[in-house]
Amino acid sequence: MTAAAPSGAAPVPDAEAPLAGSRTASSRAARRLLRQPVTIASAVVLTAIFAFGAFVPRLAPQGWNSIDLSARWRNHPPVLSGWHLFGTDNIGRDVLVRTLYALHTSEQTALLAALFATVLGVAIGGAAGYAGGWSDAVLMRAADLIGTFPALMLLLAAYVFLQPVTVARATLVFALYLWIPVARIVRANVASLRESEFVQAARSLGASDLRILVRHLLPNATGTIVVAATSLLGQVIMLEATVEFFGLGVSSQIQPTLGNLIGDVTQGGIGPFSPIGLGWWTWACPAALLVVVLVCANLLGDGVDAALRPASPR
Amino acid sequence: MLTFVLRRLVLSVVVLFVACSASFCFFATHYEPLRGVPLPHAYWQWLRGLATGRSFTHGIVFGPFGGQVVDSLERTLALLALTLVFVAVFASLLGCLAAATRGSALDLLLRIGSYAAWAVPAFLLGLVLQQTLGKIAGGPGLGLFPPAGWAGQCPGGLGIDLHTFRCPAAGTGIAFVGQVLYHLTLPAVALAGGFVGLHSRYLRASLVDSLAAPYVTVARAKGLPERTVLLRHALRNSLIAFVPAVLTDFGAIFGASLAVDWVFRLGGLGGLFVGVLNVQSTSPVLDTYAVEVLLLIGGAGVLLASLLGELAIGFLDPRVRLG
Repeated sequence: MTAAAPSGAAPVPDAEAPLAGSRTASSRAARRLLRQPVTIASAVVLTAIFAFGAFVPRLAPQGWNSIDLSARWRNHPPVLSGWHLFGTDNIGRDVLVRTLYALHTSEQTALLAALFATVLGVAIGGAAGYAGGWSDAVLMRAADLIGTFPALMLLLAAYVFLQPVTVARATLVFALYLWIPVARIVRANVASLRESEFVQAARSLGASDLRILVRHLLPNATGTIVVAATSLLGQVIMLEATVEFFGLGVSSQIQPTLGNLIGDVTQGGIGPFSPIGLGWWTWACPAALLVVVLVCANLLGDGVDAALRPASPR
Repeated sequence: MLTFVLRRLVLSVVVLFVACSASFCFFATHYEPLRGVPLPHAYWQWLRGLATGRSFTHGIVFGPFGGQVVDSLERTLALLALTLVFVAVFASLLGCLAAATRGSALDLLLRIGSYAAWAVPAFLLGLVLQQTLGKIAGGPGLGLFPPAGWAGQCPGGLGIDLHTFRCPAAGTGIAFVGQVLYHLTLPAVALAGGFVGLHSRYLRASLVDSLAAPYVTVARAKGLPERTVLLRHALRNSLIAFVPAVLTDFGAIFGASLAVDWVFRLGGLGGLFVGVLNVQSTSPVLDTYAVEVLLLIGGAGVLLASLLGELAIGFLDPRVRLG
């Protein structure tokens, strides 16, 4: 995994301070979360970026493919005063507008893929952990088989098969690959609680298997599921950018994404010194946004991990 | 211990074989040279080739490619080895420094740096290093390192001597090793950056835990200097978690090395894999044999590294070794 959530690395030391007056596990977790200013700050920044990205098609004055035809605005470096704040690319498209549309696409892929992967992972991991026996073995060995190969190799091969890659196909590929870590965690959690007293009590009251799984076992795994889902967000963004950097994924002709805008600079035959004259600003702008989003996603993931899975339960 | 290793090895080989067979059947039924052939026949031919070794060296589209694979594998292994050295040295240095000065401004600075480093994808760091430190004619680079290519090779004219317009010779012996290291420095730094950030943070957390343990209090009470306490007592215990964590991250490092290798045109497995996948064209032709060999190398690397990780735990942790 490229962006595994670190365990036991509490970003803020006072997460372990005594928590008087708290009742339920979730309210304790919420208090621990609120005591981490870094986590709160990164959540706010990430939400602001994503909220802005969601409304880009309504906010941006022109489309991502609209060209400024004046000769002055072709391949123009960033200017702090002027119509094209972050410059233009080699055919006169505004770098800032393209970056914002790229944010819109990348965030859509990341959020949907993380959601689908979590749902799929909870369903498969929960079923495998609760059923046990050979269906458990088959499902988990299937996960092992997919997990044998390095992520990037598998994704590159899948992307070649799915040419031309659209945003929907990319989302599907990530969801179908990233359910594995979620399923492993949920399976371990459900399997460890399957024989506990409260499950036996529910069973003796005549509860169905589905009811036991959904109402009794999965709520106990909520913390780990939330942690896994949060860390998926950063993983999808990082992996998607890397695959698209190879020029394989969604083409910037179809839809700009943060990865393919950076990758465009390497297209053209001889590597990152494109003969078609893309200036450094055409990839520095999406790259900076990508790094900011990834820093916030990782900080949020670590903070949620520290709050929901404290090293020693209190 | 030996039975454990043997059992894990056998299991890994079985997993690899099943995974490769499944992907072979997928590619053979979807891509051109084998699509017309009945699958059982194609699969049987490939299996027989595995036994004789022909499937590893001869493609159905490219012909013999064994030498190329060995070449690329050597280059990728060199890159990975240098990266592991960087990660081990810098992550343990920075981790110890942060743990020794925990709570100070330096600790905070190191933590910010580690998060920033982990958030920069390896390909992006590579691109930035290449453009700023590389030697590009007419570019903004400082020209400290060659921007791309392997020793004695200048793909696309990158890294040529700007006075003689010749590619610097690879040299022999020590000079060759020097040239290789000179060409590998930037890629290895780009690849190591994120993992140094991640693992220095892990090591710091683990060291802080160790430093609160009773045996450290005993060591301090004996009158040992704080440096000895940190390096001999706390670090020794924290390495039990650190070494396997680096080794189990091998899959991620290997994946990122494909991208870095491609950015710097090192001619390693990344460039070969992208070439074999026939990325730029949309033709339905794919050399299934070549793809399988590369997938096999990647999968074997990941499985081997995870096995080494478990062995390292046994080696470093006396409780496991004796128990």
